[in-house]
Amino acid sequence: MISQSFEYSAPRTLAEALALLAGGDAKVLAGGMSLIPMMKLRLAAPGRLVDLSRVPGLTGIREQGGALHIGAMTTHYEVESSAVLRAKCPLLAETASAIGDVQVRNMGTIGGSAAHADPAADYPAALLAVEAKVTLARKGGERTLAFSDFLIDTFTTALEPGEILTGVIVPVEPAGAGVSYQKMLQPASGFAIVGVAARVHNGSVRIGVTGLSGKAFRAAAAEKIFAETRDVQKAAAAVPLGVEANSDIHASADYRRHVAAVYAARALNAALSRAS
Amino acid sequence: MATTITKPDTLVGKRIKRKEDPRLITGTATYVDDIQMPGMHHACILRSPHAAARIRSINTHAAAGHPGVVAVFTGADVAGVGPVPCGASLPGLRVPHHSILAKDRVYFVGHPVAVVVARDRYIATDALDLIEVDYDVLPAVADPEKALAPGAPAVHPEWPDNIAFTYHQEGGEPDKAFAEAEVVVKQRITSQRLIPTAMETRGVVAEHRAGQLTIWSSTQIPHLMRTLVAMMLGVPENLLRVVTPEVGGGFGSKLNVYAEEALMGFVAMKIGKPVKWIESRRENYLCTIHGRGHVDYYEIAARKDGTVLGLKLKLIQDLGAYHQLLTPAIPTLSVLMMPGLYRFRNVSADIIGAFTNCVPTDAYRGAGRPEATHGVERMMDLLAVELKADPAEIRLKNFIGADEFPYATATGLSYDSGDYAKPLKKALDIVDYHHLRQEQARAKAAGRLMGVGLSTYGEICAFGPSPATPAGGWESATVKVEPTGKVTVMTGASPHGQGEETTFAQIAADELGVTMDDVTVIHGDTAVVQYGIGTFGSRGTAVGGPALYFAIQELKKKIVKFGAMLLDSDDVSFSGGLCVCNKSGKTVPLAAIAGASYRAMKLPAGEQPGMMATYFWEPPNFAFPFGAHIAVTEIDRDTGQVAIKRYVAVDDCGKIINPLLVDGQVHGGVVQGIGQALYEQAVYDDNGQLLTGELTDYAIPKASMVPWIESSHTETPSPVNPLGVKGVGEAGTIGCSPAVVNSVVDALSHLGVRHIDMPLTPERIWKLISAGGRA
Amino acid sequence: MKIGGAYTLAVPQQRAYSLLQDPDVLAQCMPGCDHLTRIADNEYEMKMKMAISAVQGLFTGTVRIADSHPPSSFRLIVEGSGKVGFMKGDGLLTLMPEAASTEVRYEGDVQVGGLIAGVGKRLIDVTARLLIKRFFEKLAEQIALQPAP
Repeated sequence: MISQSFEYSAPRTLAEALALLAGGDAKVLAGGMSLIPMMKLRLAAPGRLVDLSRVPGLTGIREQGGALHIGAMTTHYEVESSAVLRAKCPLLAETASAIGDVQVRNMGTIGGSAAHADPAADYPAALLAVEAKVTLARKGGERTLAFSDFLIDTFTTALEPGEILTGVIVPVEPAGAGVSYQKMLQPASGFAIVGVAARVHNGSVRIGVTGLSGKAFRAAAAEKIFAETRDVQKAAAAVPLGVEANSDIHASADYRRHVAAVYAARALNAALSRAS
Repeated sequence: MATTITKPDTLVGKRIKRKEDPRLITGTATYVDDIQMPGMHHACILRSPHAAARIRSINTHAAAGHPGVVAVFTGADVAGVGPVPCGASLPGLRVPHHSILAKDRVYFVGHPVAVVVARDRYIATDALDLIEVDYDVLPAVADPEKALAPGAPAVHPEWPDNIAFTYHQEGGEPDKAFAEAEVVVKQRITSQRLIPTAMETRGVVAEHRAGQLTIWSSTQIPHLMRTLVAMMLGVPENLLRVVTPEVGGGFGSKLNVYAEEALMGFVAMKIGKPVKWIESRRENYLCTIHGRGHVDYYEIAARKDGTVLGLKLKLIQDLGAYHQLLTPAIPTLSVLMMPGLYRFRNVSADIIGAFTNCVPTDAYRGAGRPEATHGVERMMDLLAVELKADPAEIRLKNFIGADEFPYATATGLSYDSGDYAKPLKKALDIVDYHHLRQEQARAKAAGRLMGVGLSTYGEICAFGPSPATPAGGWESATVKVEPTGKVTVMTGASPHGQGEETTFAQIAADELGVTMDDVTVIHGDTAVVQYGIGTFGSRGTAVGGPALYFAIQELKKKIVKFGAMLLDSDDVSFSGGLCVCNKSGKTVPLAAIAGASYRAMKLPAGEQPGMMATYFWEPPNFAFPFGAHIAVTEIDRDTGQVAIKRYVAVDDCGKIINPLLVDGQVHGGVVQGIGQALYEQAVYDDNGQLLTGELTDYAIPKASMVPWIESSHTETPSPVNPLGVKGVGEAGTIGCSPAVVNSVVDALSHLGVRHIDMPLTPERIWKLISAGGRA
Repeated sequence: MKIGGAYTLAVPQQRAYSLLQDPDVLAQCMPGCDHLTRIADNEYEMKMKMAISAVQGLFTGTVRIADSHPPSSFRLIVEGSGKVGFMKGDGLLTLMPEAASTEVRYEGDVQVGGLIAGVGKRLIDVTARLLIKRFFEKLAEQIALQPAP
């Protein structure tokens, strides 16, 4: 349980962090909730860690132009307890409160989770359902990408070598929107066996699903069925259709598909009950 | 000298906070990993990634040459060290030679292959990666029933049937009982492999200085370990000191002598420097013993009126690749306790001990009794279902009567005392059983799945009479009154979290009339404490307590003699910390008596100076606690998730010394029982890879997953010892799993579900619900 | 662990079959693989650098082709080991002609051991699927790049 030796850098500016990252064989350290255990088990052995915790401007939540800008280093606890988010993007706050345990929520960050793209992480379901964007900084520039485009596959994102995810942008929810995140947790790790984020507004629904397959996804067919029929059960039943479901010692593919439909119905019903 | 005598309240029976807790919760306690020494080196162990393989060659050249590495040892280097001992003896037992480092073959994933010793732990870990082992991988078998099937890979080539032993025991006339039975119910019941998961992993520090070897180890049995490691290393036992600092939980997993304890002793002698090895969690999961691992085939015979007649058991024990200290003995405890609290006059049991390419199983909280209780309590419920009888009624009908003690069981035990209906009736009252069943009927009518599960357990503890244990079943205590009147107790029981520093102080303070603050309890250092056996099998208070009690009675005789001398009277009694002359009323306090005994200006006739007594107490019998647990559950019909709505535990552990500590033991025990019932399972794949190799995949219950535990008691004193105590360390675990499983099966029985094996994962239950009860 | 699935390649069956037997093509398509060195008929030594998330593992081992039934099926056996553990994949690939393209069905068993088996269980299934997907995507790229013979 001891990592290989590595260089540790704690840059004071984003430019410095980007320069360090360009050196190769370096990994960005955010909250370290996934990376550090992998290093301690020697599954990962980066030559250098670039710790973002002292880079200014990467934490906090600010409202700007109808959107909420959340710094990449904002912890799950800060998201969970943010009055602004609870009022204006409650799905994200609710999802953050379902992550891991208190210790993980005090250390883990939204940027770290998004960039890691763990197929059973909670955030991606919500980020898809609220149509979040991410900002990616590189030497001499920045780009903004829809989270749905950013998330490519299992542990695979659109982050280019040398890029750092600096923030997440979520729209302010309009009045009357209803949301819910429902998760069956794996009792050992706290990860989602299946997690479903639902967001309802004016009769249309967005459904983000995590844990079910290799990456989190929007359940487009289910959303369409709901828009056409307003039938929660029918829509929920469509969530796992055609999905190549994960299977492990905690849940078989069949069970995950079943639970995805059950939890989709629960999330939809809860979101509907909160919508007006 | 006359002072006002106020007899203090007795401390025994009071809820008193633990004396040991302030240092434990403020981080000032010393565990093995806290030990630092000048020149200390660090060891890391290379372990086999294969469950079965021949070792063609090991190349340690690069590791040995790595800067900072001082030594690398392999199996060839430790050929002179004796094997890891098995303390259990059974007729015909096959005992594989268990070398402390693999010689030419590995038998399970995690098998130690080489040890690297370096200046620090980082270097040692790096150097492990430089050792090259050429393995010829062989087929493995990880399931005990598969291991017994024809053609299975042989774990040990010399025993191709993988059978370590078979064992038969019967009492009464089981065949006749089954022939005459009106009802016979059969069921295959498993108790899955569990990983004990003590919060502190194991750790060893060893130092060889001036001819003396000292080993610090996180163990439950310092004295036995000293004897056995001295034999393994061939060092004189009186030049080996074992120190057990604070131990962060054992649950039986540290009731053992492990390869690493001898290995660190060997390394310290070789390098001439102190050496430390701290087990990682991954090593803890791979290499420290697991518990349970039963596949049981039960048959119960009864009359139509519910009277039980006989019980048969075929027990397949997954032993793993080797025998650790007590591995083969654990299932024999299941057989002893298979009749539970019931009047089974005819029983028959067959054990088959199967080798598998897995880490050995051994004692884990309850050790054999949770398996037995789970079996008989499931069978009583199955019988109740078969006869459409109430599970409470069928238990009450078959309990051994309160007037039948001591009760000779069909398995050869003598139950000491009991009133089995009492805790059950109390538990039924607490849950308001009648109304609860009505509520259940309403829930069912509304389509909800609600269950009520009973478990009435008995357990054997206070191990034990020496003839029934492998290495002595007595316990020792020394009590000293220091010249200033302070009291020092030394117990051989080596507690490791149970709280004997508090309960033994309560006993000593009451007996000697001093305050608890005046008493210090010392344990866990073979250079300080007289020989002792250790803490396991709920024996700390039940065997160590009486040893202390008798030591104090010896000492009191001496106190009275010195008191009589000082008071110049021949009619003196001792109470409340004072010797009193019954004629004059004059008194002399304990401190003055003790001071005089060391000063020794004058001695009572035939007395030695000093104020100290030691007692080695041999218990005449085991003690048999019992109780009733009730779990109320509700199942999520859509997902199969179990919610424990209510958990009631009524335990009878005899006389209670400290209710707070008893509640703590019950709570912890129940939580581990819930772990087995709902969450935990060590999963090996077909190739012997442990898939639940970390806490991310092995689910121990967290606080948020545990219900409120309503704990209460009945008190039926044991006649076995003068304190009337029985032991409670394992009761919660033993009583719990059948209550939870019976409750869940009860919730699903109208869907055709008869039985579910643990752990009751949501998926397992959902599949049963979906299949209409057919597994 | 059982694996199975299907991918469609935009080449006829015979062409798909020969591509899948070509060590240079295999080397370019296997994620993290530099090259394959022939050690016997239909058997190659491989070095593979796996990089998924922060996990990096260097595997050395062999790739073997067996039970060849051109152009419709063969077995691909990949064995590798490294510091993070070892793995063995044994799969039957069946090529079904579909007009101008070919559906490649695979069905097999993946065994993993050592560290990755004990601590990465949650992710082995998804990772195996990811690697297979990357293989076929790379193969499709190769097909698009290579002119038909």
